[in-house]
Amino acid sequence: MQVVNKSLERPTPSAGTDPIVVEGLSKTYQVTDREGGFGAAMRSFVKRKFRDVKAVQNVSFRIGTGEIVGFLGPNGAGKTTTLKMLSGLLHPTSGTARVLGFTPWERNSGYLRAMTLVMGQRNRLSWDIPAADSFLLNQAIYRISDADYKRTFDELNELLELAPIIRKPVRNLSLGERMKCELAASLLHRPSVLFLDEPTIGLDISAQVRIRAFIKEYNRRSGATIVLTSHYMADVTALCERIIIIHHGQLKYDGKLADLSRRIAPFKLISVTLGECSDCDLTPYGTVVPSESNEASAKHSVQVKADEVATITARMLAELPVIDLTIEDPPIEDVIERAFHE
Amino acid sequence: MFAIYKQMWLVNWAEQWQYRANLLMYLAFWLVSPIVYLAVWTTIASAQGNINGLTAPDFVAYYMMLLIVDIATSDITIHIFAYKIMDGSLSNELVLPIHPVLQKVLVNNLAFKALQMLALVPIWLILYVLYQPVFSITAVNVLLAIPAIAFGFLLQFFAGTTITCISFWTTRAWSISDFYSNIFRLMAGQFVPLALLPAFMQTASQLLPFRLALYFPVQLLLGKLSIEETMLNIGLQMVWCVILFMLFRVVWRTGLKKYSAVGA
Repeated sequence: MQVVNKSLERPTPSAGTDPIVVEGLSKTYQVTDREGGFGAAMRSFVKRKFRDVKAVQNVSFRIGTGEIVGFLGPNGAGKTTTLKMLSGLLHPTSGTARVLGFTPWERNSGYLRAMTLVMGQRNRLSWDIPAADSFLLNQAIYRISDADYKRTFDELNELLELAPIIRKPVRNLSLGERMKCELAASLLHRPSVLFLDEPTIGLDISAQVRIRAFIKEYNRRSGATIVLTSHYMADVTALCERIIIIHHGQLKYDGKLADLSRRIAPFKLISVTLGECSDCDLTPYGTVVPSESNEASAKHSVQVKADEVATITARMLAELPVIDLTIEDPPIEDVIERAFHE
Repeated sequence: MFAIYKQMWLVNWAEQWQYRANLLMYLAFWLVSPIVYLAVWTTIASAQGNINGLTAPDFVAYYMMLLIVDIATSDITIHIFAYKIMDGSLSNELVLPIHPVLQKVLVNNLAFKALQMLALVPIWLILYVLYQPVFSITAVNVLLAIPAIAFGFLLQFFAGTTITCISFWTTRAWSISDFYSNIFRLMAGQFVPLALLPAFMQTASQLLPFRLALYFPVQLLLGKLSIEETMLNIGLQMVWCVILFMLFRVVWRTGLKKYSAVGA
């Protein structure tokens, strides 16, 4: 994964112009609404009832050149809908968005040439032919010169080790291999804005690590702006300094990942392993957290306010038969989960 | 620009070869009706001497020519594109800087046509030996048939793409397409040469665009039309192509606003 050259680099937009500017973006879907059963089916045939679903409501944010931003929220929060609007697939109900100076849903070919959308469960490769053929098709579609194609391909090949897999029909590839080819196919035209929707979904741990490292390296080399959604917190902590949290279609948080813990969860976890102690009660020290360890190891965790950590640690050390003690930040999953519901 | 079409053709060609059995089934589906009509009408005409002045050899020549023109001007958009709107896989194509219909579907149509033509050759030769049709083809007719077939195809292509775009609103665009195909077969001269239709249906078929995509090129190749008639029909084809193209554009643009990119 070492860097050999800088050829993925492209000129960055002039200072002061953020590549992604979103103002008051909203999307309301109209869905048919009917109960189950034959009677309801017949009534629905004669007269359909519609219901409005507000998928995204009045969302605004700006993203600067070269940023990697994690776009987080529970299922159905409106992440993918926002990404689809920014990549030009969906027209919003109201609001505006400018990406690289373009209005995405006008689908200007200049815009489509400068961005890419990778959806983990979708494919832009044809299943019946080797990925190499799909790459050549993309070369033609994006009008990439032979020299540029070769250079970019060599570089992607170095990062993703594509050579052994691109001659096999795509349907015979494993999920991880296919994802590598998907990413390569999406990046052959060297987009300066990437929308990655669950890029590591369904992959095993080692494949996830490789894809993550690749995204980071691509961003470093090319200075591309990346917006990514993921349910895997490891993706977010490894890649994103900044996160945007969306829930029920509304923006809940936009800022540094590190600040989120401090703001949402200003507490720490003190984990202690205790010696002989049959009636030790930890409740006076803080909120006892169910611990993963078993009875034998006698490891317990309490959640305490961040500004009381020193005092409580001292008290515990003085009052309890402590063998081992660690102070940790709460797991990021918990912090984000709390952020969703605040 | 040519490189895009070349690569799309190569990829599509390769994909379709992967599905040889599927291709043969489609071809059979396409050829069964005209071959049945050929056999039925020829038998009846032989027994009666003629039907409204058309003899058995007339029917043979008509349907043998129709087999070729039908493949050349037919459109398969509903089969290769409607599901993409319905299941959301259209999203994969909308992010590419090419037109999903006016470029990709068009090339897929042409690549499929080329394969169908290849597969038609042996079948057509067998029928030729069996029925021994007599054609009176002239070089002028063949030259005029080139734009007539091209516009005939475009006419069907824009009609087919417009109907397929109904998928943006309903998941039942196929039934509308089936209805359209049946009207087409009747009014374009596939069930029966249009000259044998009742008078009111002949009038209807003259007013509707369908005959321009099948009956007209067939009659032209069979040498049944004067230059004036031919030029008039080519003019009508162009007018209908423009109308249907405009209609497609409206439906496509409105449909995209409605598109909900499901599933992805």
